[in-house]
Amino acid sequence: MDLARLRNFCIIAHIDHGKSTLADRLLDLTHAVSERQMRDQYLDKMELERERGITIKANAVRLAYQAGDGLDYVLNLIDTPGHVDFTYEVSRALAACEGAVLLVDAVQGIEAQTLANLYLALEADLAIIPVINKIDLPAAQPERVAREISQVLGVATSEMLPVSAKTGQGVPELLEAIVQRVPPPKGDLDAPARALVFDSLYDSYRGVITYVRMVDGRLARRERVLMMVAGGTSEAEEVGVFAPEAVTTDELAAGEVGYLIPGVKDVRQAKVGDTVTGAARPAAEPLPGYREPRPMVYSGLYPIEGDDFPDLRDALDRLRLNDAALVYEPETSAALGFGFRCGFLGLLHMDIVRERLEREFDLALITTAPNVAYRVTMVTGETIMVSNPSELPDQNLIDRIEEPFVAGMVLCPADYIGAVMELCQGRRGVLDTMEYLSEERVELRYQLPLAEIIFDFFDQLKSRTRGYASLDYEPSGYREASLVKVDVLLQGEPVDAFSAIVHKDKAYAYGRAMVTRLRRLIPRQLYEVAIQAAIGSRVIARETISPRRKDVLAKCYGGDVTRKRKLLERQKEGKRRMKQIGRVEVPQEAFVAALRTDDSETR
Amino acid sequence: MTAVAPSRPGLAMEATGLFGVYAHVPFCLSRCHYCDFVTYTGMEGLRRPYAAALLAEAELAVAATGPEPSTVTSVFIGGGTPTLLPAGDLGRLLERLRELLPFAPDVEVTVEANPETVDQAVADGLVEAGVTRVSLGAQSFDEGVLAALGRTHGPARVGQAVAALRRAGVEALNLDLIFGCPSEDDASWADSLAAAVALGPDHLSAYALTIEAATRFGRMVADGRMAEPDEDLLADRYETACAVLAASGWRHYEVSNWARDPVLAGAPHRRGALPSRASRHNLTYWRRGPYLGLGAGAHEFTGGVRRWNGPGVPAYLAALAAGRRPTAGEERLDGEQAAFELLALRLRTADGLDQAEAERLGIDPTGAPVAELRRAGLLAPGPGVALTERGMFLHGEVVARLAA
Repeated sequence: MDLARLRNFCIIAHIDHGKSTLADRLLDLTHAVSERQMRDQYLDKMELERERGITIKANAVRLAYQAGDGLDYVLNLIDTPGHVDFTYEVSRALAACEGAVLLVDAVQGIEAQTLANLYLALEADLAIIPVINKIDLPAAQPERVAREISQVLGVATSEMLPVSAKTGQGVPELLEAIVQRVPPPKGDLDAPARALVFDSLYDSYRGVITYVRMVDGRLARRERVLMMVAGGTSEAEEVGVFAPEAVTTDELAAGEVGYLIPGVKDVRQAKVGDTVTGAARPAAEPLPGYREPRPMVYSGLYPIEGDDFPDLRDALDRLRLNDAALVYEPETSAALGFGFRCGFLGLLHMDIVRERLEREFDLALITTAPNVAYRVTMVTGETIMVSNPSELPDQNLIDRIEEPFVAGMVLCPADYIGAVMELCQGRRGVLDTMEYLSEERVELRYQLPLAEIIFDFFDQLKSRTRGYASLDYEPSGYREASLVKVDVLLQGEPVDAFSAIVHKDKAYAYGRAMVTRLRRLIPRQLYEVAIQAAIGSRVIARETISPRRKDVLAKCYGGDVTRKRKLLERQKEGKRRMKQIGRVEVPQEAFVAALRTDDSETR
Repeated sequence: MTAVAPSRPGLAMEATGLFGVYAHVPFCLSRCHYCDFVTYTGMEGLRRPYAAALLAEAELAVAATGPEPSTVTSVFIGGGTPTLLPAGDLGRLLERLRELLPFAPDVEVTVEANPETVDQAVADGLVEAGVTRVSLGAQSFDEGVLAALGRTHGPARVGQAVAALRRAGVEALNLDLIFGCPSEDDASWADSLAAAVALGPDHLSAYALTIEAATRFGRMVADGRMAEPDEDLLADRYETACAVLAASGWRHYEVSNWARDPVLAGAPHRRGALPSRASRHNLTYWRRGPYLGLGAGAHEFTGGVRRWNGPGVPAYLAALAAGRRPTAGEERLDGEQAAFELLALRLRTADGLDQAEAERLGIDPTGAPVAELRRAGLLAPGPGVALTERGMFLHGEVVARLAA
């Protein structure tokens, strides 16, 4: 194929700004999908994605387009995930392109994630085509949005394309702009093959399918290939392109985007960012930019029914085939039994994994509160990583604790600067910079502890700014902090699942909130139950549940023993589902509810 | 829990020596705010046909028990308000039962009555019909509480009914009381207890107010216009009842029931011995003995099967006109269910389970669960397994622990 007729591009957009709808229109206009096959949000293949309205897995589609110059072009649309958890995947998808469509909602304006991804695209030297979407809406303010984009990109507003992905208005002009403004790929067809893996997924019939951008050379079907980072060689069972359904080809050549089935069974053998080369004539160096998936958030996953532990293990093993970022190892909780400590890219990734475990594998789970990994330096000088708060060593043995920080970027209307600053300061944030994108919109940059972000920060941000603020962040190293472990004790017995590492200024509030919450959730027992929060041996909060005094059914009216027996049988079954903490019986629901982080009272 | 032996066929399932007949009269003058029993106001025209249908159902029920029916030890005519039927109808029902079934010489025949329906003529009619025991729905002796409950009688009316029944020569009297109602307080509850005791009944039932969904109270709670009775408040009132009645020589022999024991009067209290004035009919339920159930919504337990009639009166009449019983459901219990049920029922009464019975139900009277419940003061010391007074009010918890 003539490289001059090839364009590789992606769409950078915030959730709900119309990326999937625009992709649908591009498919329409290039007749990539017959009307019979067309369905909304065609590219969002997984069931989960369609429901959430977001795209988790990158995808690539080949579009055949005859441009205004009368020539036929091939346009490869590479889809990108739209969430902070998947920033690395975004960066690899961008690295597979020469251009990016910056899609901004004409009502909402530019959002933090979009901006973060735009910066990634600029770093990757991509040609940017700014597009203002939803111009058909009555509330659209295309001029204001154009000024914002102009401020960020330093381009004239005349270069921006107004479109309505919904009605199709402006989309033909966009296709022309892609041909004219996105440079064709460069690449050495004769060099040893190098293909960038920008996505990788597991198919139960075909094994791992990699999405690749050929950078140099060629890879043919049946050729032996080498994964340069993972190190394995195998035979390429199939290569091809998505148009948008998979179409087998004989080879993929430099500049092209397509798929390669390397004949392996586990996505960890072909991770995002790896370089595929020919085993016969391997490239000297892999492509730059590979990074191991880095878990940011940890949580314990436990089956509600202890018998389900083997099923949970099998389910995680299955999920890992398709998710190279998921890490887990078995752990035991005195309170919750056998489970796994799992590491995730972020909260969304955690939710997706949990939902898939519950939905696809029919497991009922207790999830402990998410936490970050702490770097703990012992008085002996030894350094350990702690990803389970209950495993933090005794305070006397610790020299210092460091916690992960992130560089956070918040975009919000100028009216809400105060609210955002108050929130960030309350979360121990340190302001780096503040910059006006336009008269109305401001970009605030903060250094924030990641632990503060994963506790309902996003919800708080949204509620304090009536939904107008958006957030993006990236890791920015570890910093020392005054952190303590707060334990929760029932009748003097610590409940490991409730231990948390918190800043010392927030320990009391956390402890108070937990004991108050548990007092509501744990039913009265035969005996008085003391619920305490403690730092080491120092109790910082206490609640008492007075003993139960009445638990009896009224008379057997008219000899109706049946109803009474059924009620008592239910009570007996309920007892069997209780977790026994010392002498205290804790209902499973109490664990689930106490560990929920979606309301703000614990912080 | 290990299972008991499979249910034997026949009526004397638990060899209690008891066999009861329950007949339900679902008519009331008005609906009380707490009541979710099968009752209907109005339906005046259906009362006589209903009384006749009870006779027909008695024949069908007895025929189904086999050729040699057991001896009836108790009859209980409950409601609703049975005294809304003319005394003659009640008399005919008892007469027919006597024709169909052998009656024990000391058979207990109870009729429930609301105080406002009992005048001298009614009282005389009941005794004449063979009634030996009358259970009066006094509920409270506080004007405000009675009004809050939706009762139509005043406090004084109870004494008048008691006097009429005593004059008529009824052998035993029970008064029903309810505690934990809106507008009740510690003092009015203590006063009600004292007033009830002062009327000299033989038996007292004191029930904690239970909010049922399909009642006026249930709707008020659902709408937030009324609070569910507080657990501690109910426990306080219960303890008051225990203390006041014990001080007056009453025996607390079941969760909600107290009786006097003229035979043992003055003798030291011996735990577990049931008083002679205990309700024999209710003991039949608590000992898992057999009983026939006649009338709309009535439950029956015979030969290992629990069955019950549907609640509607027209449907009841129609079924019996067609020569069948309006059975709405039945269940056969497996061994484990039967054992659990027996445990739950037997623990309601102060005598509980003796050592052999406990072991038969898989409960070790010297085992750890029993020991813990004894330490907590819910099970009484002794060779068997029986609840203390405090344990009675935590019956559900104890049963669930012993069976878990």
